[in-house]
Amino acid sequence: MPSTCPPALALSRSRRTPALQRITRRAAPWRRICLAAPFVLALILPAARAHADDLPSFVHDGQLTLCTNPTLPPMTFVNGSDTNALAGMDIDLARRLAAYWHVPLVPQTMDFEGLFPSLSAQRCGMVISGVLRQAGRLRNYDAVAYLDSSVVAVARVGTPKIRTMADLSGQTVAVQSGTSYAAQIERENDRLRAAGRLPIILQQYPTEDQVVQQVLIGRAHAFVSQDVELYYRQKQLGGKVTIILTPDYADFHQFAVYIRNDAHDTELLQTAIDDLTRQGELSAMARKWGISGDHQSVFTDRKASSRFDFATFFSALFSTAFLKGAALTLVIAILSHLTAIIISVPMAMKLNGRDSIVRRLLGLYVAIFRGAPTLLQLLFIWNALPQFFPIFREHWFTPFLATWLSLSINESAYQVEINRAALRAVDPGQVLAADALGMTTAQTYRHVIFPQALRIALPPTINEFISLLKTTSLASVISLQELLAVTQIQVARTFQFTEYYAAALVYYLAMVFFFLFLQKRIERRFVWADRDKASADAA
Amino acid sequence: MQLSTSPDPTARISIRGLSKFYKDYLALDRVDLDVRKGERIVVLGPSGSGKSTFIRCLNRIEPHDSGVLMIDGRVIDDRTDLTALRGSVGMVFQNYNLFPHLSVLDNCTLAPRLVRGVGTSDAKATARRYLSQVNIAEQADKFPIQLSGGQQQRVAIARALCMNPEIILFDEPTAALDPESISGIVGIMRDLTEQGITTVCVTHEMGFARHIADRIVFMDRGAVLEITPPEEFFTAPRTERARTFLAQMIRH
Ligand SMILES: Nc1ncnc2c1ncn2[C@@H]1O[C@H](COP(=O)(O)OP(=O)(O)OP(=O)(O)O)[C@@H](O)[C@H]1O
Ligand SMILES: [Mg+2]
Repeated sequence: MPSTCPPALALSRSRRTPALQRITRRAAPWRRICLAAPFVLALILPAARAHADDLPSFVHDGQLTLCTNPTLPPMTFVNGSDTNALAGMDIDLARRLAAYWHVPLVPQTMDFEGLFPSLSAQRCGMVISGVLRQAGRLRNYDAVAYLDSSVVAVARVGTPKIRTMADLSGQTVAVQSGTSYAAQIERENDRLRAAGRLPIILQQYPTEDQVVQQVLIGRAHAFVSQDVELYYRQKQLGGKVTIILTPDYADFHQFAVYIRNDAHDTELLQTAIDDLTRQGELSAMARKWGISGDHQSVFTDRKASSRFDFATFFSALFSTAFLKGAALTLVIAILSHLTAIIISVPMAMKLNGRDSIVRRLLGLYVAIFRGAPTLLQLLFIWNALPQFFPIFREHWFTPFLATWLSLSINESAYQVEINRAALRAVDPGQVLAADALGMTTAQTYRHVIFPQALRIALPPTINEFISLLKTTSLASVISLQELLAVTQIQVARTFQFTEYYAAALVYYLAMVFFFLFLQKRIERRFVWADRDKASADAA
Repeated sequence: MQLSTSPDPTARISIRGLSKFYKDYLALDRVDLDVRKGERIVVLGPSGSGKSTFIRCLNRIEPHDSGVLMIDGRVIDDRTDLTALRGSVGMVFQNYNLFPHLSVLDNCTLAPRLVRGVGTSDAKATARRYLSQVNIAEQADKFPIQLSGGQQQRVAIARALCMNPEIILFDEPTAALDPESISGIVGIMRDLTEQGITTVCVTHEMGFARHIADRIVFMDRGAVLEITPPEEFFTAPRTERARTFLAQMIRH
């Protein structure tokens, strides 16, 4: 890529998102369009220092808030095993902008798909996350370019170079879902089909590291990505891949800072970027992160081992990042399930009762929350709710709270059916007997019905809990740093899939086995339900 | 059967014109009855004649729709303190309805502790006393599932006794029991009378009815057709309906 324009070195990006892919794949928008060369402006505009009275409006409450998805090294990623240690070109730029406006930087990490909804929801002032400047985005947001880039098609080392994308006809190509590469390849395919040739077989993966992995393991012939990211990958991959084509796609030439539409803000941001460009700060950042057109330098780096690295595995297993991730997974699952149980018990009682408006509304609630995908509910609560109720954009509404809220509501819709069945299974003669003994309704529930219903509800409830424990991994899309999010961040950084996946697996299995064990222990306490066990117990 | 129109406040139970509807189905049709203290009443009648409905009205598990129900001179209606009423009128069911998750002892102490506020150790002492009265003291720590039907029914009686009731209602207490257990229950019901407890018992066992009844109440289609001593009822029933009923019972 042309490193001739200093301000905007060269890069670009599009991104991914784990489970989201199903929803967004078809809608993957064009990420942007390359407009005027920003460095031209840099020469014209005067060097201006920001004044407190001329801050962009997205600098709010004396701070600059940044939304970023730290899984795109070298632009934005987590350096080391501390998931809070953000690093990369984008992070440096954001810090520098904050300093430029004399305010602290408050970064928020989230899934890629959450970035723009968060920007719209005013959860952050700007998005810098390796996002390309693309026409489609400019309808809704303003963008200021800071780094040049280009698209690359990459294959295993030794693969012959090609002249056009059409040469990939009939081959499998991997791209990250949620990115605009897929749409670009579809266009190529339209042309190929029109010419009576085989289309390119497109495979989409939620994370960039999985995309690369497809080429390494030989499932895909090539992947399409941005050159910047490849420089970084090259270091990890030890020269296993090579660029076979640099297609000239107009919409993939620049990385940009995105803000909400505001002409004045855009002007102030442009001025700031121009200043930094002129002072050589942007090119220094790019050099620092190895973003340069000099491919040779990166190809000669260390050799990656293809064997399972036990040292990495064990250090991941015992790292604070994984421990914290697992703890968060456990805490959010327990809290959500407890909340779900607490709200679903009265719901079940009402649903088992006489027909009424409330009962019908509850039936509707259950149908909706069992019907809608959990992932969609998480995204709705995190991204759509703030548009109806501004209170949900405030800082107290963290990804943790959003996950808790949405998983509780979702789980209660399942738990309520378990509760209903369990309550119904209690012999109505029990209620009659308690009534005849003068017990109140509350006493009857507390001392007679619930203890018996609990035994019936326990095994399916533990099943639900185990399922919920795994469902928490969806919360990575709204940036909750649970176990799977931590794993993905580490994989993106190191590219050591197997080791980190194995460590995550160990944690999930350990937690699940613990709860299965607990279930057995608790069931032993219900001796009263089994004649043989009760007698054996007494003996 | 028509008694004098006003209820008798000196009777333990006095009933006049008691009626009960399920929607528009008349389940109890103007029932009149006076029961003396310590008396043993047995209610007979074909299936669906309203026997269970009738005794459930006595502790207001089913509220009646019209007529007067008086217990110990107090009118029972929608202003009655149900906790107190259920304390003085106990009930024993065909299927025992013991609490399966509680030990025999806890079955007997739960209601006294919750409803009467009796301390745990007092409640246990009382429970053990009644459990030995019904001859199952040694089963106190078992769960209901570990007991035979006869033993469970005796626990159910002990559980009712623990509330110190003046009246105990039995709804087919022997229906699920073998003959030996039935004679055990007969003995226990006689003991209750000696303690001054009034019993009203629904049954289909003619032998059992003849053994324990001071008076037989014969019902059909929600109405009381006869109130007679057992010797008379079984030898010379006054109504045609009772005669066919008895003829059928003997045939089976
Ligand atoms: N909760 C209820 N709702 C509607 N109808 C009822 C209800 N309980 C009883 N019935 C009806 O009232 C009538 C009397 O019922 P009840 O149970 O008192 O009869 P029973 O004499 O005890 O019969 P069995 O000897 O079979 O126990 C029956 O026709 C029954 O179907
Ligand atoms: Mg009955």
